[in-house]
Amino acid sequence: MIRRLAVLLAVLLLAGCTGGGDGTRAAPTADVPGDIVVAGGRDVTGKNGIRQQLIDAWNRQQEQDGTGYRARLVELPGSADEQRSQLLGALQSGSAAYDVVILDVTWVPEFAAASLVRPLPDEVLDADVIESVADTARWDDRVYAVPFNSDVGLLYYRRDHLRDGGVQRTDLSGGLDWRELEAMADSLDENPPDGYEKGWTTQLAAYEGRTVNAVEAFASAVPDLALTDADGHYAATVDELTDGIAELRRRTQAPYLLKDAVHSDEAATLGDFADGRTAFLRHWPYAYRTLHQSLTEEQLGVAPLPGRAVLGGQNLAVTAASPRPAKALELIRYLTGKESERCLLDAGFAATRASAYTDDAVRCTAPAAAPSPSGESTDRMPRDTAGRPAYARRILLPALRDAVHRPRTALYGAFTQTFTTQLGTLFSDRPPGDAALAEALDTALKRALPD
Amino acid sequence: MTRFDPRGRVNRALLVGVSTYDFTEPPHGVPGDLPAVKHNLDRLRDTLARGGVFAADQITVERSPSLDDFDRALRTAAEEAEGLLLLYFAGHGAIPSAGDELFLQMRNASVIAGGHAVFPGAEMFTTVLTWLASSPAERIVVILDCCFAGNAAWIWEHFRDKRRVLLLMSVQANHRTDAGDGGTPTPFTGELLHLLDAPGELGFRDVSDALRKRMTEGRHETLRKEPWTPQSRAEHDEDVLLSAREGVRLTRPGPGVVRPPQQPPHVPPGGPLTARLRRLPGVLRAARRLAWTTVLLSLTATGLGVYGLIGLVGGSADCAPPLELRVLTDPDLEATVGAAADAYLTSEANTTGDGCRRSGITVYSAGSADAVTALRRESAAWHEPRDEDLNPQRDIGPQPDVWIPASRADVARVTTGQDTDALARLEPDDRALAYSPIVLAVPAKLAATSLDERVGGPLTGMLDALRERHEDAEVRRPDPEFADAALLATIGLYGTGADPGRVEQQLAPPGPPSPTAADLLCALPDDDAVDHRTAALVPEFLMKSGVGCDRTTRSPRTAQYPGDVPGLEPVFVRVRWEGADRDRAARDEAAEDFRAWLAGEGGRAAFGAAGFRAATGDRALLEPDEAAEGILPAPSLLIESAGRDAMETALRKYRDARGPGRVLFLLDSSGSMAGLWQGPSGGPGLLKQSLDGLGGRDEYGVWAVAETEDRSYETLLPFGPHSRRSAEAAIDAGARVRDAEADPYAALVAALDDMAERGADDDRPQLIVHITDDEDTGRLTGARLDDLLSRARLTNVPITMVSLANGGCAAGKPDALIAVASGGRCLDADDELGTGLSAEVARTGTGEQ
Repeated sequence: MIRRLAVLLAVLLLAGCTGGGDGTRAAPTADVPGDIVVAGGRDVTGKNGIRQQLIDAWNRQQEQDGTGYRARLVELPGSADEQRSQLLGALQSGSAAYDVVILDVTWVPEFAAASLVRPLPDEVLDADVIESVADTARWDDRVYAVPFNSDVGLLYYRRDHLRDGGVQRTDLSGGLDWRELEAMADSLDENPPDGYEKGWTTQLAAYEGRTVNAVEAFASAVPDLALTDADGHYAATVDELTDGIAELRRRTQAPYLLKDAVHSDEAATLGDFADGRTAFLRHWPYAYRTLHQSLTEEQLGVAPLPGRAVLGGQNLAVTAASPRPAKALELIRYLTGKESERCLLDAGFAATRASAYTDDAVRCTAPAAAPSPSGESTDRMPRDTAGRPAYARRILLPALRDAVHRPRTALYGAFTQTFTTQLGTLFSDRPPGDAALAEALDTALKRALPD
Repeated sequence: MTRFDPRGRVNRALLVGVSTYDFTEPPHGVPGDLPAVKHNLDRLRDTLARGGVFAADQITVERSPSLDDFDRALRTAAEEAEGLLLLYFAGHGAIPSAGDELFLQMRNASVIAGGHAVFPGAEMFTTVLTWLASSPAERIVVILDCCFAGNAAWIWEHFRDKRRVLLLMSVQANHRTDAGDGGTPTPFTGELLHLLDAPGELGFRDVSDALRKRMTEGRHETLRKEPWTPQSRAEHDEDVLLSAREGVRLTRPGPGVVRPPQQPPHVPPGGPLTARLRRLPGVLRAARRLAWTTVLLSLTATGLGVYGLIGLVGGSADCAPPLELRVLTDPDLEATVGAAADAYLTSEANTTGDGCRRSGITVYSAGSADAVTALRRESAAWHEPRDEDLNPQRDIGPQPDVWIPASRADVARVTTGQDTDALARLEPDDRALAYSPIVLAVPAKLAATSLDERVGGPLTGMLDALRERHEDAEVRRPDPEFADAALLATIGLYGTGADPGRVEQQLAPPGPPSPTAADLLCALPDDDAVDHRTAALVPEFLMKSGVGCDRTTRSPRTAQYPGDVPGLEPVFVRVRWEGADRDRAARDEAAEDFRAWLAGEGGRAAFGAAGFRAATGDRALLEPDEAAEGILPAPSLLIESAGRDAMETALRKYRDARGPGRVLFLLDSSGSMAGLWQGPSGGPGLLKQSLDGLGGRDEYGVWAVAETEDRSYETLLPFGPHSRRSAEAAIDAGARVRDAEADPYAALVAALDDMAERGADDDRPQLIVHITDDEDTGRLTGARLDDLLSRARLTNVPITMVSLANGGCAAGKPDALIAVASGGRCLDADDELGTGLSAEVARTGTGEQ
């Protein structure tokens, strides 16, 4: 009850009135010491619990300083859709109390527009934050979040398969285009390695993964494609959609795509690729660490995704209802600071700051998690001389800088549900033609994102 | 119904309109002056004076009073009134946050951050109501024309003396409105004036109803672009005469009218009004809105402080992000409810006049036994997880606004024995949304042929007959812990006094069952021989919508309808959470709209397409023209609904079927585990979470696996029955990373020997769990691995390998091989480790009872 009262008094969500004024906004009252609840997706062990470690480190500092504050991570379900639903529902209704929320980059406009998270000072996005990544934290010319970890589509490939399949070029780190990829798949078809089935696999089940893959195809086919304008309004034409659909169809046609991809998510594709069923895999940076647990450097390579790649990642935001917004922001600054970002990079995440990739002086010391006494390590990731994942500077950083955004709209939920559903017909028993599907998609998107 | 007639009494009308404000500049000012309000006051005073209820000297007008002046006038009016006391307020209204107290802002209103002085110069509606209630007046009518007026409704509802008070509010809660053109009254008061101008008797209810109708017909909208709907609150039998102008009587009197009408000629309700009421010019309204939006944007851009506004203002898309409904359902229903929600999202019912979505919906499922348990006794942890071991937000999913279990009995399972301080309250709908019987889906070649054999009779008899016809026939049922359909089938399986242990042994294959009925129907065709000889206990609707995988190669099946298995009866349950008050009215409305749609044609189409039957009557197929192959259109189903006790009993018997279990946990404690030790996803955290599935009769122990001089492990928790608390304490006290390597081979061999000995004299379920980072699998190769695998095959104790490394269960990895050889599962960091491990342990143990 005390907490609710505090919320009521501190959260001055004034709304003005008759006449349409919406009123002014007030500065926060002094924070009340206590728990700062950070809600977000699972602290995935595969990433070595680095988020929890960083929070632990911050808590140790608070304890030393006797501030009375303590950050507490509340894990939400693994599914991003369920995370979004809980965060939205809880912040709208007050069914749970969160101070800091971990938002997928595509959710920022929605949470900002609904005033569920607070505007932050512009300077939280300093020049070190990679520009494309920083853009995910803004909405309507204001800053609402701070990038925590980034993400971008990458192409993983099996060097051993390429060798066995008679492909000469087994280092693709310089990049390749789809024609080259298809040519290699053709070669592999003629000399299939053990267990090999198809050229590539990716995430095409009816969830966000399908939207990501479709946007990558669309953006590759139509330079500077904008499905929505800066205001979040639908802005594409039927012709553009037609070209995008044609590209998606070409990429996903039977000769090259593993059939299971149509029902696959991240975990399923990772398994199929690790099992050698395909030579190529479209996946995120964390797969670099994961795949190196079971594949050697001689077997595994990573390259920029042919065409355009989608930017992903998670941002941290302060909830409108938090009774301790100033301290919450302090925590966020810590979690997204240079050293923390370096820690995230070393643990297998894509860091959001250029310094993590380029400045050898920035090291990860913060977590101070008990170092393995016997000197054992589970880490099988190849690393560069400064201790970063070996591909970070040469492949990952440029990929992040060159990545495309998914549509930025406060109605992203409606967009992606529409996009996923409509494009699903492409993978059905009787797929429609490019133009017919584009017409249907255009109509549905206009309806989902009304002017 | 009594209509209080105040004519001839000492009445008072206090008309307050704030058109001019002292502070209209950011950061502390209100949004602006309200010229329209001036017109409201003049016109309303004249209209009331002509109405025959208030004498001219009983009407007081307060023009843009300060807070002090307002309070003084309010007190005076309250003290003087004996018959009817009417308060009218037009001006700015403000709320601290959605769903909160309403503040009426007077001339000297300002908005200051911090402390308790959130809205100086404004009066809390609760205070206003309290002042009014201090009056000796017999009835009190309050009319609010301001933004967020509807937020007064819940204050009224919680007000002790509300019987005397009748409340009319210009707009629904949490909505702002525009004031209209400065040259005319505000839209709401404009409509009110027109109504009151009509001749004849007019009561509070007439006015409220007609206003709602008029505002709807005028297509007025709130600033959120939703239909602008005036609200009213009064006890159901209360009404007050507000106007009785000489002329034609407007409405017929209610049966309890205190004084007979003076002007009898009758005119149908609404007739003359409809013709007379005018609409606000739409273009003008749009222009005003645009102008105000500009003001809002400039305010937002000043960047003072960090608090946002309610609704989408200053955002760029014109549709506000919709309210999100969290919909939890049974795993077997997820596809159907998900498809229904998708259809609803884009339906007319969920679309505003501007083409915006009213609600967003996310449908998800969780194991049905877990969902019941979480709602029954873990709602506090679901509301605020404080303990990393018990976090329903992570393990079940979002806190549902709506729960659609597969049987109404689930509601009773929750509410019977629910914590008295439960933070989730259930409000089930009266009737089910649809129906689907549980059938024995038999490969067509093995199925019974006569109708008698296909329909009715106990399930066990059907199974016996099947096995008699074909001795190699097998029967599978999905996991009764996970989905209701399997639990309902289990009621039939144990129904005639059969020994649950024997029944379970007869079900094929040994090992973990398929989680859902759909999973089962998809797993069968993986092996043609299995597909051809196996009957499946599944809900009938999946014979239509659950056979998409391997459609062309799967064995066609015939449905047999046992007479003692209750069917699926999905029911809509609204779940309310303590503290979820910020948007209570809007959330209620959104949930109700979805419920109405599901219960109507929309839901009927979705359930019909999935293969369901009607919930009532003779339970006909909802889509008879597209019935699945192998089912009977009208199998004369006479089954009663599932009962709470029957389901609970079946679940308990299932858990007990093989007696209490034994689990031996091997926790890799070698040095490399250091980075995988802390938190709920660390080794000890995962282990502790899984203890949920073990009850007081189960036996278990924990070994810390790390090499010492002479042993491959140390005992952290001795084998035996434990209370969860003492087990956790022992683990917390003893679990630590050792400065040593682990020898998984030696530890697993020792564990197999240990468990073989314990299980020698009974057939209680046993399980070995090995939690490791796989750092030392280098020591599990060649002959050692081969030896371990052959021991695992022989010992017949399943080993669940939990690899904290990604890819630990990839094909050919030692973990995967060991799991397969022993008949256990392999879980790695690509899986939901906590959930997966808990499920394995729960299957072995009997759990808390």
